[in-house]
Amino acid sequence: MSTTVLTRLWRMLLLLLVQLVLLNHIHLFGYATPVVLAYLTIPCHRGSSRVELLIWGFVGGLIYDVFSNTMGLGMATGTMLAMLQPVLLKLFAPNDAPEDLLPSMRTMGARLYLLYVFLTMLIYHVVFYALDAFTLQNWPVTLMAMACSTLMAFLFVVFVQLLSSSIRSSREQQHS
Amino acid sequence: MRNLIEFLQRYLYWLVFLVLEVISLLSLVRYNSYQGSVVFTTANEVVGTAYRMGSNVVAYFHLGEENAALETENELLRKQLHDLQQQMRQMNVVPDSLPVNEEQSESDYRFVQAQVCSMTLHKANNLMTIDKGERDGVRPEMGVVSSNGVVGIVYLTSQHYSIVIPLLNQHSQTSCRLRGSEYFGTMQWERGDADYSYVNGIPRHAQVKKGDWIETNGFSDIFPEGIPVGKVVKIGDSVDGMAYRLTVKLSVDFKTLRNVSVITNYSKPERRLLEQKADSLMMVSEE
Repeated sequence: MSTTVLTRLWRMLLLLLVQLVLLNHIHLFGYATPVVLAYLTIPCHRGSSRVELLIWGFVGGLIYDVFSNTMGLGMATGTMLAMLQPVLLKLFAPNDAPEDLLPSMRTMGARLYLLYVFLTMLIYHVVFYALDAFTLQNWPVTLMAMACSTLMAFLFVVFVQLLSSSIRSSREQQHS
Repeated sequence: MRNLIEFLQRYLYWLVFLVLEVISLLSLVRYNSYQGSVVFTTANEVVGTAYRMGSNVVAYFHLGEENAALETENELLRKQLHDLQQQMRQMNVVPDSLPVNEEQSESDYRFVQAQVCSMTLHKANNLMTIDKGERDGVRPEMGVVSSNGVVGIVYLTSQHYSIVIPLLNQHSQTSCRLRGSEYFGTMQWERGDADYSYVNGIPRHAQVKKGDWIETNGFSDIFPEGIPVGKVVKIGDSVDGMAYRLTVKLSVDFKTLRNVSVITNYSKPERRLLEQKADSLMMVSEE
């Protein structure tokens, strides 16, 4: 099993744990719940196998659905996002970026990376809540849920990024 | 073959994506009661709409049959109405008289359903062709009616077709009366508007008002009495000023007329024979 697969597996389990234990219990205004499973596809490097991405997105969604009792919802959204990830990355990757660019604040720059993360989260939550509502009735509530959840998930990812950056820099300082 | 494999390899992710999405959406609908009910309701509505559209198309092709059936039913009802009117009239006039013997009743007539094949509207002497002829029992001088009222009189017949002189013919003269009274006159069309004709000869002491119905009076042996002809829309005077000249809006719309009925056995040979004898006697006495 390659390191990439292990890393992704580890990341997926961690995300699912956070999602199921912590985030699934947040219901802002009674209906907005952030879903950070989208983060599973965000740090996939450019040029990854698309089939592989799709399977990761699907399996991640499946596990989320099994534990959240939302069968099909996470699967459909995760697969959709995995399909769009290369397109989004192409949209925000710097011109001089390497072919195997690994998206992060360091490699892409803070502005482009945050835009990339925000758009990914937005697409994920739009698809997720559209499938959840499954109707155009009461659309203001659905729109609010999309917007609030996107914002919360985005802030969560930014927080995680800042945390991991600070941990990484403190480690580097210790090594040096 | 190699190209096909290359193509599949290049776009395999699309196939995987579609398969995974289909599995996901099927799971969504299958395991979530809300989404399932929405899909079921929508599918029901779509299928219902498709069925309704299909049924409308099929119904459209059966309109002819339905129209014919309605026409037959109309004729039956009209005959029943006529019978009842006859009976009521007789009861009022001769309260103690016995009910009319069915065999002798004037209303004991039959209809032959026919369709208009061709017709002119703008000539002075319009003619109409219908798709029933001698083989169907149609003979000259039989009355032709539609569900709305009098249409005309059969003029010529062949085996399968007949020519009818409609009311819209200057040679057509139909004896008719004001409904609810015994004042009668003769309807004669004048070239022009196909919706209107004229009744002459209603005496000036008759009480006529706009909207009154004009109907057949049964004097001829062509039409039974009580068949509507039209409604009075204008009351005028005849040329000599001795009678009314009524403008009548015909109850039959000749422009859209399609289904008609020929009254095949209203004419009474006995009456006709007697009238012919009377005519010949008159001619002899005149000579």
